[in-house]
Amino acid sequence: MALIVLVGLPLLVGAVLVVAGRALADRVSRGLALAAVLVALGVGIGASWTRPSFDVAWLPELGLRLHLALDGVSVPLVLLTVVVGVLVVVLARDSMPEGGSPATVLGCLLLVEGGALATFAARDAVLFFVAFEVVLIPMWVLITRFGDPHDLRARREAGHRFLLYTVIGSTLMLIGILVLVTSAGTSDFSELLSAGAELPRGRQLTIALLLTVGLAVKVPVFPLHTWLPSAHTIAPTVGSVLLAAILLKMGTYGLVRLPLASVPEGFAVIAPWLAIAGVVGIIWGALVCLVERDLKRLIAYSSVAHMGFVVLGIASGTEIGLQAALYGNLAHGVISALLFVVVGGLKSRWGSVDLGRVLPALREVAPHRGFFLILGLAAALGLPGLAGFWGEFFAIVAAWQPADLADIAVMRTCAVVAAIGGLLAAAYSLRVANLLWIGDAHPVEWSLDEEMEDSISSSSDHSTDAGRGAGAGAGSGSRELSTEVETSGGERLVLLVLSAGIFGLGLMPWWAMDVMAPSIQSLIGVRP
Amino acid sequence: MTAYLLIGVLAAAGLLGLLVARSPIAARAVAVGASGFVAIVATGAMLRTSMEELHETAVGLQFGELVVPLDLGTSRTTAAIAFVVALVTAAVQIYSTWYLASDDRQGIFAANVSIFSAAMLLVVFSRDLVLTLIGWEVMGWCSYLLIGHWSRKASARRAALKAFLVTRLADIGFVLGVVGLAIGARTTRLDDVVSTWAQASTCDALGACTGPDAVLRNVLMCLLVIGVLGKSASVPFQDWLADAMEGPTPASALIHAATMVAAGTVVLGSIFPVLAQAEAARWLLGIATAITMVLAAVLALGQSDLKRLLAWSTVSQVAIMLSALASAPAADGPGAGLFHMWSHAIFKSLLFLALGLLSVIVGGTSAVALRGSAMRSRLGRWALLFGLLSLSGVPILVGGVSKEHVVEEVYAGAIAAGPGMVVLLALLLTVVLTAAYSTRAYLVVAELIDVPATIAAEHAVPESRRHRRQATLDPAGRGAANAVLLVLSVLSIVGGLAITLRLFEVGESSWTWTAVTVLLIAVGCGFAFALAREGDPGVRFVRGHSGWFDRGFGADTAYLAVARPVVRLARVVAFLDREVIDGYVQGAAASTRIAGALAELGHRAERARLGVWLVGLGLILVLAVGVLPWR
Repeated sequence: MALIVLVGLPLLVGAVLVVAGRALADRVSRGLALAAVLVALGVGIGASWTRPSFDVAWLPELGLRLHLALDGVSVPLVLLTVVVGVLVVVLARDSMPEGGSPATVLGCLLLVEGGALATFAARDAVLFFVAFEVVLIPMWVLITRFGDPHDLRARREAGHRFLLYTVIGSTLMLIGILVLVTSAGTSDFSELLSAGAELPRGRQLTIALLLTVGLAVKVPVFPLHTWLPSAHTIAPTVGSVLLAAILLKMGTYGLVRLPLASVPEGFAVIAPWLAIAGVVGIIWGALVCLVERDLKRLIAYSSVAHMGFVVLGIASGTEIGLQAALYGNLAHGVISALLFVVVGGLKSRWGSVDLGRVLPALREVAPHRGFFLILGLAAALGLPGLAGFWGEFFAIVAAWQPADLADIAVMRTCAVVAAIGGLLAAAYSLRVANLLWIGDAHPVEWSLDEEMEDSISSSSDHSTDAGRGAGAGAGSGSRELSTEVETSGGERLVLLVLSAGIFGLGLMPWWAMDVMAPSIQSLIGVRP
Repeated sequence: MTAYLLIGVLAAAGLLGLLVARSPIAARAVAVGASGFVAIVATGAMLRTSMEELHETAVGLQFGELVVPLDLGTSRTTAAIAFVVALVTAAVQIYSTWYLASDDRQGIFAANVSIFSAAMLLVVFSRDLVLTLIGWEVMGWCSYLLIGHWSRKASARRAALKAFLVTRLADIGFVLGVVGLAIGARTTRLDDVVSTWAQASTCDALGACTGPDAVLRNVLMCLLVIGVLGKSASVPFQDWLADAMEGPTPASALIHAATMVAAGTVVLGSIFPVLAQAEAARWLLGIATAITMVLAAVLALGQSDLKRLLAWSTVSQVAIMLSALASAPAADGPGAGLFHMWSHAIFKSLLFLALGLLSVIVGGTSAVALRGSAMRSRLGRWALLFGLLSLSGVPILVGGVSKEHVVEEVYAGAIAAGPGMVVLLALLLTVVLTAAYSTRAYLVVAELIDVPATIAAEHAVPESRRHRRQATLDPAGRGAANAVLLVLSVLSIVGGLAITLRLFEVGESSWTWTAVTVLLIAVGCGFAFALAREGDPGVRFVRGHSGWFDRGFGADTAYLAVARPVVRLARVVAFLDREVIDGYVQGAAASTRIAGALAELGHRAERARLGVWLVGLGLILVLAVGVLPWR
């Protein structure tokens, strides 16, 4: 019962809001949305505690059941989804994207949340697929209708690419699921654990290939990642947060539930290739971030790099790897959400955040926003004490000793490359910090006190990035950009919650680990 | 219990400090109070702890079959090192209340210092590789924040970035070394890692080997050594430390004299039995430190800025500590290197803080500016004198006692196997050079020689005029700073008693080596005096190439030559991503649209006749399908 409320309430309220559109007053729709997400939060926390199950026959002729349940792997993701759901509704109240009625926006947000909850709670492969697809259209609406108001063509482009790519991936996934279900004779996840492993090796390989490639689009894994940067750049802030914190998690969750758990032998054959794609993604994403000028695009590419670590952990095939991957998955959701909220606020006030021009130093003009920015960047580079460290470090540990010792040379090389990726992550994070947090511009309106007089006149200029101008001479550039970019009340609340999450995941990893460990053992342990 | 208390109090002080950073008084109170408390507790712990190890098991993690117990532990030596870290932290916090009194971000500075010290104590007390790594990385981050504290200056921003990236590059090796060692031992607990990897590998006639894989052990320890070389600013990672002098002097005293650069010594000391078995790693460490100690001492002698002279001196002394670890025979243990680390923390922080005091009086840290400054502060002059005597290695003073033990340890290693002989030669040469630049520094500040004003001070770090003003306005704060200098001076004189307290496991001292050291110091001083006949010995030494010396012999250019191709590669990758990979997607989208447009065109152009023909064709087909099976 609780699960039906958890999944159904956001979907229902979302549908109502989308259909009603302008018919509902602004205040009513906002209140309704907030109430729905708060109820979902409460039910989600309760359901994570009690772990209920819901199982009714759906299409008995085909053997499909509407089976919902939570286990160790889905609980952290469900909690992440319900918390992020509340945060985006709070954020939307503060900064509503333009392009239509607020009710539509809130409705789409709720539909995405409901679809994601259904995906994480589903215990039936076909139900999983249906829920997976539910989030597609609301997300597309958010990107194309409510995205960057300046460029219609860009919005359509981004929307097309998002839709095209994700649907191709989903089609492949669907074919894979159908082959799996018909071969194994069952579509229930728990039964597939044993039934799938008994399939002949060739069949397993086909299924694993279809499923992995299909899901790799969603994760995203290099080279199927190019839909993500444009989607993130164009989407409104709330859309980006949902995309990063929820949609990408669904892809990794699917990788764990479907190919890894159901067809382990076939997956083990693909695993080295997946690991290579993952580490190439780490390096590729990080390198692009070194030269990327649009900050939202940069964060999108850094997501590709982080997902590379997650994929490496999954591909190692060990318990350590899976634990690291799922933990890194969770951490990335919180970190990306934080960064997108910080940058989204800047983008709405500045029109775009172009790192190629001189920007006001956030540490000087907007210390709170600056603090959250530097916190997000520190977490993104994998600083211990913050959420990102555990997943990244233990993914490297897992790759060093993979499950299949025949691949040890490949996997150890991947581990070394991933470690180099850590250096590149530091490079691009500090690049952003040096350009935006401490910046090169001092707003010329300030009275220059003696310290800055000394520094401007006497210090020989060692600015790195060539062609960006230096010192006070470039100060005039910052006059065009508003320095009133401090966080608003709603933003601050959202950022505080996310920061608490980053510190919590960083300093107290045992909570999430203990929740996930038993389920991970059951997923990996059923190997022949 | 003690370990938790010390680390916890400092970490809490750091977080609390961030919250109250807006109010300087509250921030100062939190910082000084916490660091003072920690210093007192650490002193008690040092004097009280017996030789046995005390283990304190924290909440552990289990990753599959890898056990991650996250233990902390104390021992005699650990408590002594913790004492010196806590002492220097407290000294820096108290000193900063005066030095940064007019800085609008002093609260943030104090909080960062607290977090930094907590991380260093984590490294010191850690008995688990993961905790060591955590403390190691957090220290690097805090040093980024502290070096770039005056972030309105472009040079400070660049220096902070350079320091973090150079050490992060070396940390690739550190992380991989830790990963390999942990996997091999199936646990991250330090004791188990050491006992697994420190066994001798023997293979019998049939090829069956017991003990760990010797080749893998060498590789992993080399990787770990590379990581240590980065944080300790040894060749080839040496250039970040001199540039890091952009940070406020108290930060330099804490990070670059006493703690972060010496953390590598602590880490290698804790894993010494494994290092002793890894020949290749010892040679790597030995050669790198030998080159570094001589190179840095030469550079120190030729610097035109005295703060940078101290920076290069740090590079040289840290190389000396590490060389003791590289050369020491397995049976002797890491005691000599750790003792030199301990004493270096005391006298180097004393030197930095004293120099800071003098630089405030005169408004700059270049040799030109500091000429004669010692005459304006008696305490400054004596503090500087004792610090420099310790640095040179004059016997009785703490620096002398520790350096002598290092020399003996390296000699013991030289007559055994390993890199000892190379290191010994480098070390003896460095003793001479150290005495020379120490003498030069004193001659300049005490105005015993004339320093021509034509020295190009390109890389001078001008402390702002604001600090000079404040020095005369705040006598009470100045009193606190003076007290700090006094305490450190006393410790630099009597610190040699640490040997009698058995805080470090070192060998017996020998009169021969003491005599040799004194002789070498005399040679060095004489060399400096000889050059001093024509003014600043440093100027005479460089013979017009002061710019070359100030730029560290072009190391920065070399670093950029490594970084530029990476950025160029990044541009190529970005191009490929946009045009090639995404090109297929754009093409697919475009072709779908084109196909749709064509279909639409075809649909519109359709005439009725065509439709009738198609229907007729369809009918025939259906009939055929229906009739043929009857055949």
